[in-house]
Amino acid sequence: MSAVIPQDGAPLLQLHQVSRSFGSTPDVAARVVRRVKRSFGAETASKTVIAVDNVTLGVRKGEVVGLVGESGCGKSTLGRMAAGILPPTHGQVSYEGTDIDSMPADARKRAKLKVQMIFQDPYSSLNPRMRVEDIVGQAPRVHGLVSRRELAGYVDAQLARAGLDPTLKQRYPHQFSGGQRQRIGIARALAVQPHFLVCDEAVAALDVSIQAQILNLFMDLREQLDLTYLFISHDLGVVEHLSDRVAVMYLGRIVEEAPTEELFNRPNHPYTQGLLAQVPRLERRRSTYMVVKGEIASPLNPPSGCHLHPRCPHAMPRCSVEVPLLREIAPMHRSACHLNDMVRAGTPALQS
Amino acid sequence: MSAPTLEVRNLRTYFMTDAGVVRAVDDVSLSVERGKVLGLVGESGSGKSVTGFSIMGLVDPPGRVVGGNIFYRGQDLATLTEEEMRALRGNRIAMIFQDPMMTLNPVLRIDTQMIETVLAHSSVSRENARDRARETLGLVGIPSPDERLSSYPHQFSGGMRQRVAIAIALLHNPDLIIADEPTTALDVTIQGQILAEVQKLARERSTALIWITHDLTVIAGLADDIAVMYAGRIVETGPVDLVLDQPAHPYTHGLISSVPSANRRRARLQQIPGMTPNLLRLPAGCVFRSRCERADDACLQGPALVEIAPGRAHRCFHPLQQLPV
Repeated sequence: MSAVIPQDGAPLLQLHQVSRSFGSTPDVAARVVRRVKRSFGAETASKTVIAVDNVTLGVRKGEVVGLVGESGCGKSTLGRMAAGILPPTHGQVSYEGTDIDSMPADARKRAKLKVQMIFQDPYSSLNPRMRVEDIVGQAPRVHGLVSRRELAGYVDAQLARAGLDPTLKQRYPHQFSGGQRQRIGIARALAVQPHFLVCDEAVAALDVSIQAQILNLFMDLREQLDLTYLFISHDLGVVEHLSDRVAVMYLGRIVEEAPTEELFNRPNHPYTQGLLAQVPRLERRRSTYMVVKGEIASPLNPPSGCHLHPRCPHAMPRCSVEVPLLREIAPMHRSACHLNDMVRAGTPALQS
Repeated sequence: MSAPTLEVRNLRTYFMTDAGVVRAVDDVSLSVERGKVLGLVGESGSGKSVTGFSIMGLVDPPGRVVGGNIFYRGQDLATLTEEEMRALRGNRIAMIFQDPMMTLNPVLRIDTQMIETVLAHSSVSRENARDRARETLGLVGIPSPDERLSSYPHQFSGGMRQRVAIAIALLHNPDLIIADEPTTALDVTIQGQILAEVQKLARERSTALIWITHDLTVIAGLADDIAVMYAGRIVETGPVDLVLDQPAHPYTHGLISSVPSANRRRARLQQIPGMTPNLLRLPAGCVFRSRCERADDACLQGPALVEIAPGRAHRCFHPLQQLPV
């Protein structure tokens, strides 16, 4: 089967109405407790967290899409589904226009290999007992991308491309600094020749000067290898710098999505506006910080209707009842807020 | 004119390890006035946290303060007995750590911990101590402080826990707070809330604040003065606007240029080559030499801190800013 070649502008990777929930599988003790409780007539609803709730997001070839949100908003879960590490509870993930689950086994394996992930913590994402040459060389060898004879040279090339000295490949991860370890993680991902990288807080643990080096590396690799990125971060400065398009998540849902300039210059959703107002910037001196009330609600018990309504300064009765849909409000700009209906109905537009 | 709340002169804190002497803090001088915020900026291993620990008298062996003086309102802390230092610590001088669980005991309720802190330094009744605890929790923006007092630390979210840690630091209205990356692990919205509370404190209560961070953007919005540390030394210090707009030291300049928002969108970031040096094997001369494009043979000798304007100094032979004429 030959892969479907995407038409111009068609997504390379598409998450279609994906949801992911996590429930606890009760162990023996928990089942006994539940049975006893029930015999006394107590309610025993099992707790389910809906980490990602019906999200549709496409990433076109060559594009960098930034995904931002507070801790617990589901951005990492979404990233893991995109990378194929975590299967969605509902919905489909398609690669080059084909649903990954409907592919024959060998095509699915090839498609999944094309999507690789780079993790936040370079300390826990590398096996401490493996030498760097094995960390980087194992996957391409297993998947038959290189012969045994070519492997050493291949690993050297991967390390050099990630900015590491290949003569250090006999070492173990603990012998490297944080920035170097992140480069090892990048070399490992690149070694299987991916087209799509999911970077989950890939520079969050690094010092400022090292962070700049790694961000530059991502940008260079994008050009050299024609890579496509889903770049997940809570750091809006980093996302603004790197991304072509940005999606903002709140409690499992995308609340706004737009090209980077549009989103940062004309944020529409009250949550995006609040988030942008909090971003510290070099040119903001002795600023008076505004207090946004409350913090992200528990995903175990999310607020009804629009998840943001308890924190939103513009909340109205409708917001606690009806979930706002993500709708286009300008070309390429989608937002999920009931206020946009009022704008259409003639009330003054919401200004940031 | 009264003495500054804190003045540190030529502080040296060394760690005598088996591998050799680590000069974690080497000849650091700084001062903070009442109601002012000093931003102490540096990357991992620059010695910024050890500076904070040294001021608090919390350096554990093999580390030791081997030189310099720390004056709290004109009084040399080195002359105090451990007993006198205990009376000051947590009372007049408080510290907030990056990880609030370093402050909080996981098996004690919040009220137990807060009341204990109040009673450690003032002889009031338990009821008064509890009132004080409740009042302070309210001050840092914790909703329904009365109920929250009887919670355990694990029942709070990360942001709330950090607020509790801040509240404990505030219990005795300290004159000086040393905050070591207290918002680094938090989301921007929570960080904004905490920065707002801290600003209010400095303004309304004239608390002096040392804010230790690697994040220049936070410092830009919060601090009055800034001190940039590199490999145990202060390489540049001065008022925040001057240092950020006209940095003198190449390292400061490099740090500022590495901030994504200081660059054009999607352009390559200006980066500092190389990485921070191993403190066990520091090169002779200027510690930044190996990463600096302005370095030459003159830099083989270590530059001294040169004052170029009142309160403005740098440690460089080839500064980007010259002496004003």
